[in-house]
This record gives sequence, structure tokens and C-alpha cells, in this order.
Amino acid sequence: MSHAYGNAPTGIMHPPEVRLPDIEHFAHRARRLQDLAERNQPLGEFLTFMAQLATAQQVAMERFTPGWQPEPTAFVLALEHGMPPLNVQALQDVIDLPGEVDALLSALELHVGEAQRPLLTALRELPEQTGRQLARQVLAGEAGETHHRGLMPLVAAALQVAWLRLVHILPRTPERPQGELRALCPCCGSPPVASVIETDPKSSGVRYLQCGLCATQWYLERSICSVCEQSGKLDYLSLAPEAGDDDVSVAQAEACGDCGSYLKIFPRAVDAKAEPLADDLASLTLDLLLGEEGRYRRSGFNPLLIVED
Amino acid sequence: MTLRVSRRQFFKLGAAGMATSSMAMMGFAPDPAIASIRHFKLTGAKITRSNCTYCSVGCGVLIYARGDQAINNIDDIYHIEGDPDHPVSRGSLCPKGAGLLDYIRSDSRLRYPQVREAGSNEWKRISWDEAFDRIARYMKDDRDANFVTENDEGNTVNHWTTTGMLAASASTNETAYCTHKIARSLGMVAFDNQARV
Repeated sequence: MSHAYGNAPTGIMHPPEVRLPDIEHFAHRARRLQDLAERNQPLGEFLTFMAQLATAQQVAMERFTPGWQPEPTAFVLALEHGMPPLNVQALQDVIDLPGEVDALLSALELHVGEAQRPLLTALRELPEQTGRQLARQVLAGEAGETHHRGLMPLVAAALQVAWLRLVHILPRTPERPQGELRALCPCCGSPPVASVIETDPKSSGVRYLQCGLCATQWYLERSICSVCEQSGKLDYLSLAPEAGDDDVSVAQAEACGDCGSYLKIFPRAVDAKAEPLADDLASLTLDLLLGEEGRYRRSGFNPLLIVED
Repeated sequence: MTLRVSRRQFFKLGAAGMATSSMAMMGFAPDPAIASIRHFKLTGAKITRSNCTYCSVGCGVLIYARGDQAINNIDDIYHIEGDPDHPVSRGSLCPKGAGLLDYIRSDSRLRYPQVREAGSNEWKRISWDEAFDRIARYMKDDRDANFVTENDEGNTVNHWTTTGMLAASASTNETAYCTHKIARSLGMVAFDNQARV
């Protein structure tokens, strides 16, 4: 509604239902992780490393061209029928995993500390079949073998790069998933890592779930459980800081008494720079406290932090 | 190949699992994070969907209240915002709706029936039973005195024009149905459900 004196406010008429990640997504995430590392003493070193990893992801994304490329018409049918076109089970064995891992490690190598260097060597020396096995476990949300668990987030980081690449060659944005698929990524079918409440004028107050793998965001109504879609017994749990502590955490757990699960939610009105995957890692304390309390189990899928149940 | 849809998995992410987590396996000690949880306790909030009661548009609102299941105290409401999922209002609120929190907390908010007797200038609190009894009595007396069965041309009209009813603006369909049945079956014609107050 534009006229000579400016624009009349129209409110949100049709917020975008699916938002694909920016080409610079890993760089944004790296900056956010670095900010969080400086604010979060107990997790500082871990988050700094994760920031370096995200920086390396951005470099790998820009510099490397994978050996496998999909057919130009490969995704048309899935898009037409509302199925995730980049389904992880369909593509996990065909993507150029060794190439992606190699590109990521080369970008990471220069920045990594002494303590983490052996991880990179170990991952380079891993037979391709074992690497593919780790990738399958990561994508299935499994915790894998203890002696390989330290490598899995690096494999996961390479997979995130591979999928973000694919997201960017999709012929169009998929529609919002329907029915049983409602809480799964419309691009790759993976579960969400967390959700975010937007402050952007086009979708102010709208909640988006964000994919733990490809960072696609999709619409889900506010104040319903992303797992069972009930809303009667939802509680928003967060950390109550001690008096005098002014570093208020933006993280809330949307905890459902009907199915006993929780997913984190980050209102950007509280912290405008919140990025679900980065903020999920930085709010580990909330998970630990909920874990001790015992009423709810976590549903968020974050392949950069793998914990055995 | 069959494409399976991933199933959502739940797991416990507690202190016990951190020793064998990928974080520990990558050389980052989880102990400081585990130790830090004793500085915190959990605080809960509830978000309830409702409708703004000011006018017949009935904009969707989300009402935030402190406490969890155990606490159900209306005074604990601390924030209200437009519901972005509401098909009519899409998250927008007019200035009246945006001020709903003050309306809920207002000192002059009517919380129980009150009566100001004829000739008096004071409001007196009465019980709901007394209020209903008095209203019914006044309605019956007025209806008995003024009910019209036929108009001047001799047509049956069965109406009651000396009493009117002003009902709430943002009623549910069910409430509106009941309100309508009561008012119309008494023959009442002056009746509005859009209270622009």
C-alpha cells in the first residue's frame, strides 16, 4: 500500500512458509558461535572450535566443486508431489563424501589447535567405507561407536556443506510440509535442531523450525508441540539466572507434557542474532539441567554434538 | 529404493552422557559446563491462545503467564502479543488490543457483580446468585408489563421492545448461539453482539 506519503502498514499477510539458507549461512553461524564463545565461559573453547569449523564450512562451500552433481531434472518430481527433494536416505550414498571431507579438513587445518589435530589425521586416514558408515549414522541420528564419536561432528559438518550446496541448486523453494511430515525438513527430511521466533517485518512473531542438517527454515504455528502437535500441556522452560547475573540466556525449551519431549526455541526479540544451531550448542546447560530434572527428553537433532543415550 | 521418513528420536542429554559425548571425544572437557548447572534453576512460562475481547474482529492473541502447570494464577500474566498464526489478524493488534495487559491489570477492572441502587451513588458488591435473581425479576416484571402479542393491524408479533441486551463482542459460536436463543425466545428485539466499548 504505497502512496505519495510513504507506505501504509499492512501487517503480515503471507509470511514465507519455507526459507532457504543464505549462501553465507556458515559465515553467519561462525560469527554467532564466536560471539557466544566469548560470552560463555564453561563452553568457550568448544564454541571457539565450532566457530572455526563453521568458518571452514564456508570456505569449503565456496572453493570446492564436488565430483558428483545431480541431474538437472532430478528434483522436479519430488517437488511436484510435496516430498523432500534432497531426502537424506536417497542421497547419502551418492554424494561426494570423501571430496567434501577433504575440502573441509583442508580449510580447517590452518586454524585448529594441537589437541584437535589428531582428529583431522584420523579422519583423513579413515577408509571410505567407514566414513560412509559414520555419515549414515550421523544422518540417522545415531550415536555410533565411542571410539569414532569424536570424528562424527566433522563428518556431519561435511554433510551440512554437501546439503547446503544441494539446497542452492533446487529449481524452486519446496512448499511447507503437510500432515505427518509437518515437523520434518521440506528439503532433506531431517528433524529440526530448534526453532526461532522471527522479528523480521515480513514474518514478525512467526515461528520457524530450522533443519539440523541443511539449515532450511519452515513454518510451524506458535505454541504447539513440534512432535505431537498438542498444545495443552506445553511449558516454556528456561534458566533462571542467579541475582546479579545479567547474561540472560535466550534459550527456552518448549516442553510438552503430552509426549514428554522438548525442542529449544529462540525468540529473536530477546536476542536478534540468535541462530538455532549455534545457540543450541551454547545452551547445553539448559539440556543438562532438563536431563537432571528428568521429566522431558530432547527431540532436537544437532549433528555437531553427539551424545549416547 | 524405498524412501523412509525419518522418525523423530528422543534422548536424554544429561551430565552422565557427557563423558562419552563427541564433545569430550574431541578433547573439550565437559566438566565446567556440568558444574555450571548448579548456578541455575528452571523457570517456566505458559503461552495460551485467546481472542481479544474488544471488538467483533476478534484478533488472535498469545497470552504469556509465569509458572508451570501447578500455578494457575491470572495475576501472573506478564505479556500479550498478536498471534501470527491467526487467519484474520495475522499477528496485528490495534492500540486497544496492544494495551490488553493494562486492561487485565487495571485497578478498575470489573471482577464481580455490583449494583448501584436507585437513588444511591455507591456501588455495592453482590453475589452472582443475587445478581441473577435480580436480573430475572426485573426482566420478568418488565416483560409481563410490556410484552406485545399483536400489532395495530392485528398481526401476531410476540415481541418485547422495552428491554435490550448487549452481549460480548468476541464470543465463540456456541456462546453466540445460546445468547441468541435466550434473547429471541423471550421476544427481545433490541439485541447486539458487537459491543464497541
